[in-house]
Amino acid sequence: MKKKKFSDTFARMYRNPQYRICLWIFGFFTMLVTYFTFKSKKGKDAFAKLQKELKQEYMRQGLHEKFYEDALLQVKKKNEYFKKTISEDAAEKEARAIAERNLKHFVHDKAKEKAEMESVSELTMASCYGKLMENPVFMIFSFILSFPMYILMVLYIRPIAKYATERLFLMIFVLFGVTWLVFTILYIAPMDAATNILGQTATQEQIDTFNRVYGLDQSYFTQLFSWFKNLLTFNLGNSYQGNESVAVALMAKFPVTLMVTFWSMLVALIISVPAGIISAIKPYSTFDYVAMFLALLGLSIPNFWLGLMLILQFSIKLGWLPATFQLGNAMTLIMPAIVVGTGMSASIARMTRSSMLEVKNSDYILTARAKGLVEKKVVLKHILGNAMIPIITMVGMSFSNLMGGAAVTEKVFNINGIGSYIVDKQFVPDIPVVLAGVVYISFIVSIMNLLIDIIYALIDPRIKAKMKNY
Amino acid sequence: MVKTETQRNGNFYLKKVYKRKLGGSLEFTTARLAYQVTFILALFLATQVVKNGVVSPIMAAVTGVFAVEFLIQFFVAKRIQKEIIGGDGEISNRTRKFGYILLLFVITGNFLAFIAGAMLVKREKNLEYQLSIYSLLVTIFILLVSALNLFKEYIVETFWLGMGLYGLYAILNFGIVLAVNKYTFGKKPDKKFMPFAVICLLGIALGNVFSFVLGLIAIGKYRNKNEEVSVEWIDVIQRLFRNYTAVIGMFLVAFFVAVSIGSNLTFDYDLAVSNNFMTRLAEPSLAYPFGCDDYGRCVFTRIIFGASISLIIGMISTIVPIIFGGIVGAMAGYYGGKADNTIMRVIDVLNAVPSILLAIAIIAAFGVSTTNLILALSVSSIPAYARTVRAQVLGISNQEFVEAAKACGAKNGTIIFKHIIPNSLAPIIVQATMGIGSAVLSTSSLSYLGIGVEAHIPEWGNVLKAGSTFLETNPYIAIYPGLAIIIIVLAFNFFGDGLRDALDPKLK
Repeated sequence: MKKKKFSDTFARMYRNPQYRICLWIFGFFTMLVTYFTFKSKKGKDAFAKLQKELKQEYMRQGLHEKFYEDALLQVKKKNEYFKKTISEDAAEKEARAIAERNLKHFVHDKAKEKAEMESVSELTMASCYGKLMENPVFMIFSFILSFPMYILMVLYIRPIAKYATERLFLMIFVLFGVTWLVFTILYIAPMDAATNILGQTATQEQIDTFNRVYGLDQSYFTQLFSWFKNLLTFNLGNSYQGNESVAVALMAKFPVTLMVTFWSMLVALIISVPAGIISAIKPYSTFDYVAMFLALLGLSIPNFWLGLMLILQFSIKLGWLPATFQLGNAMTLIMPAIVVGTGMSASIARMTRSSMLEVKNSDYILTARAKGLVEKKVVLKHILGNAMIPIITMVGMSFSNLMGGAAVTEKVFNINGIGSYIVDKQFVPDIPVVLAGVVYISFIVSIMNLLIDIIYALIDPRIKAKMKNY
Repeated sequence: MVKTETQRNGNFYLKKVYKRKLGGSLEFTTARLAYQVTFILALFLATQVVKNGVVSPIMAAVTGVFAVEFLIQFFVAKRIQKEIIGGDGEISNRTRKFGYILLLFVITGNFLAFIAGAMLVKREKNLEYQLSIYSLLVTIFILLVSALNLFKEYIVETFWLGMGLYGLYAILNFGIVLAVNKYTFGKKPDKKFMPFAVICLLGIALGNVFSFVLGLIAIGKYRNKNEEVSVEWIDVIQRLFRNYTAVIGMFLVAFFVAVSIGSNLTFDYDLAVSNNFMTRLAEPSLAYPFGCDDYGRCVFTRIIFGASISLIIGMISTIVPIIFGGIVGAMAGYYGGKADNTIMRVIDVLNAVPSILLAIAIIAAFGVSTTNLILALSVSSIPAYARTVRAQVLGISNQEFVEAAKACGAKNGTIIFKHIIPNSLAPIIVQATMGIGSAVLSTSSLSYLGIGVEAHIPEWGNVLKAGSTFLETNPYIAIYPGLAIIIIVLAFNFFGDGLRDALDPKLK
C-alpha cells in the first residue's frame, strides 16, 4: 500500500514538467536507475507486444490506407479554402504524416482498452519506478541517496505544504528582483559614498582605495551577483560609516522592530475588530458614525504627530510614561504601540464594517437566525466568520505598511530599530545597510503574505477545497 | 403586556419614520452638524481661557461668541426638527428667516453655520444654488484668512490689491448666487445665465473649484439636446452633493487650493522663510496666530504657503503613477497571457518592498530634493494603481460591448482608450482622490525624517520638524502644522469616500 503511494506520487509529479526537472535534480540516482530500466524494457513488455499485434492486424485490414485517404482529402480541402496551392508531393507527404499520427493514436487507444480487459499495464517511468521500489535493496539505496526527492514527495502530497513550497521557491526570484532593483537604484545614483565618507578634501588615491576595499570598483554584474550571494549567506561585511558588522547590527535591530510591530498589531486588532463588529451590527447608529469618523481621522493623522502629541501629554505634562524607548522596559512600549496601532486599526475597522455589512443580509444568515441561534453566535460565527477574508487581507497589507512606516515612529520615540537604522545610514548612502535592510524587510513582508494566504485556506473551506485539487 | 409591546413597536417605527424624515431634510442635517461642531469648538475654547492661572480676555470673548452662536444654532435646529416632525412637515417662513442670522456667523469663521443658514433661507435648492453658495463661501474664507494679516506690524505691498480683487470677486459671486436663483430652474438653465456661466468657469484661475463646476454644469445642461435624458457626470455630482460630509471634504480641498493661489497676493513670503530674531519663539497672538518658530518665522504664514507645496507634490505624485501604472496595468489586463505574466512579476517585485522604504532607497540614491521626492513617491505607488487598473480591465475586456467593438474591426488602441478606460475610471478616481491625501502624509513623514522636501521650504512636515525640538516649551509650533495635515488628508478621505458612493453603480 505504502509503495503504491510512492509510485502514484511519482507518477503525478512526473507528469508536471517543472516537477520532472525537480525529480531529476533532487533524486538523480533513483531517476538514473529508473530511466535505464525503462529504456531497456521499452518495447519488450506485454503492452508493447499487444500494441504491435494490433497494429499489424489493422494494417492487414487496410485501415492505414483509409486514414491516408481521409487525411489527403482534408489537406486538399484546407488548401482550397485558404486559396493556397501546394504541389501534389507536399500534400501527400503531409497527409501521410497525419495518417501515421492518427493511426498511432488509434492503436494506442485500442491497445489500452484491450490491456485493461486483460489486466496488462502500460510501461511508463512511474510503473518502472514502482517495480523497482518492490526491491528492498533499491528502496534503501534510493532513500539514502536521493532523500531530497522524498522530502519533496512528502511535501507534494500535502496541498498546503506544496503550495507553501512553491511560493517559497518563487520568492527567491522576487527577492532577487528586489535586490536587483534596490542595487540598481543605488548603483546609478549620483551620490558618491566615498566622497561623503572621506570628505571633499580626499585625494583621488584615497577614493580609489575606499572603492577597492568595498568592492565598488568592480563591474555592475559582479557586484550585483556578489551582493545576491552575500545576502543569501548573510555575509554582509562592514558598513561604510562606523565600520561595524552589518549582520550583527541587523540581528540586534530586527527583534526590536518586530517586537514593536507585534504589539502594535495586537493593539490594532483589539481596537478595530470589536469597533467594526459593533458598527456593522448597528449601522447608521451614533456609535457607528462616531467610530467611523474616528477611523477616518486615524487614517489622516500622521504617525509622528500623534507620537509627539502623546509625548507632550503623557511624558512632558503628566509624566506618566517615558518618552524614549528602552529595551526591556514594557512601559516604554505603550506609546509606540498605541501610535502605530491606532493608525492601523482605522483601515481594519473600516474593512471589518464593510465586509460584515455585505455578509449580513445573505440568506444563510437568515437561516442561522431561523434556526434559533443565539445572536452572539450568529454574529461571531456566521457573519464574522464569512467576512474574515477581506479583513485578513487588510491585516496583511497593514503589516507591509507597518514595516515600511516603522522608520518614522522609531525616529519619534528614539527606538533603535531597523527603520531608523536605514534612515540614519541612507545619507551616505551606506549600500550594505540600505540594501540588506530593504531586502530583509521585503523578505519578512513576503513571508507574512504567504502566511496570510495559508490562513485563507485554513479558515475558508471553499479555498481549502480549491487547494485540495491544486 | 401585549399593549406595551405594540406601543413599543409603534414608537420604534415612529422613531424610524422621524429619523428618515429628518435625514432627508438638508436644512436639518446641516443645522445639526453646525451646532454639534460649534459646541465642541466652544468647549475646547473654554479650556483655553485660563492658562497658567491667568484669564485671557481675548479667549474669553471668543468663547463667549461661540457659546452664543451655539445657543442660536441649537434653537434653530430644534425649531426645524419640531416643524418637520409635527404639522405638515414643512418649514415655516418665519423659521427660514432665522437663516439670515446664521449666515452672519461666517464672520467668526463658522462655515458650517453659513452653509446651514444658506440651506435654510431657500425653499427650493437645486445643485446650482448649492454650488454657488459654496463658491461664495470659499471666497469669503479667503478674505477672512487674508484679513488676519491686518494685525501684523506691516503688510505686503500687494495686500490691498489682493483684498480688493477678492472683495470684487466675492461681490461677483454674490451676484452669481442671485442669478442662479433667477435663471436656473428645471432641467435647463435660462439663456441669460450663460454669461455668468463663463464667469464661473474663469473662477478656476483663482482656484475656486466650486465655481468652475457650476459653470461646467450650467453649460453641460444647456447644451444637452435631449432633455429627457440627464447628463451622467452631472448625476454623479448630484449624488455627491447628497452626501454632506463629502461636500465638506470637497469644500476644505477647494479652500486649500484657493488659499495656495490667493496667498501669493495677500501673504508675505518673507515672513515664512526669512529669519527674524525679534519674534523668536513668540507665543501665539493676533499678529502671529500660530506663534513663531525658532528662527522667528510666522508659523501661520508658513502653513499657508505650505498648502501649495503639499498640494502640488500630492497631485503630481498621484498623476504620474496613474499614467504609468495605468498604461502598464491596462496592457497586462487587456493582452493577458505572457504580457500579463511578465508585467505582473515586475509589479510583484515593486510591491514586495514597502512603499516608504522604496522611497527612502530612491532618495538615498539620488539625494534630498523635491523632484527626487516626487519621483520616489510616484515609483512606490505605481504597483497599487497598476493592480487596480489591471483588475478593472480584466473584468471589462470580457464584456459584450468590447467583443462587439472587436467584431466591428476596431483597433486595439481604440478599444483600450475609447471603450475600456472610460468604463474603468470610477475606482481609479476614488483611489486617486485618497491617494493625494496619503501622498501628502508620506511627504510630510519623509520631510519629518529630513529626507523629503529641502529643509528651507515651508512644507508642513518641515514646519512640524522645527516644532518637535521645542515640544516642551513651545508645543504650538508642532501642533498647528499637524492639524493642517490632518484637515487636508481628512478632507481628501471624506471626498474620496463620497465619490466612491456617488460613482457606485449599485447605488444609482
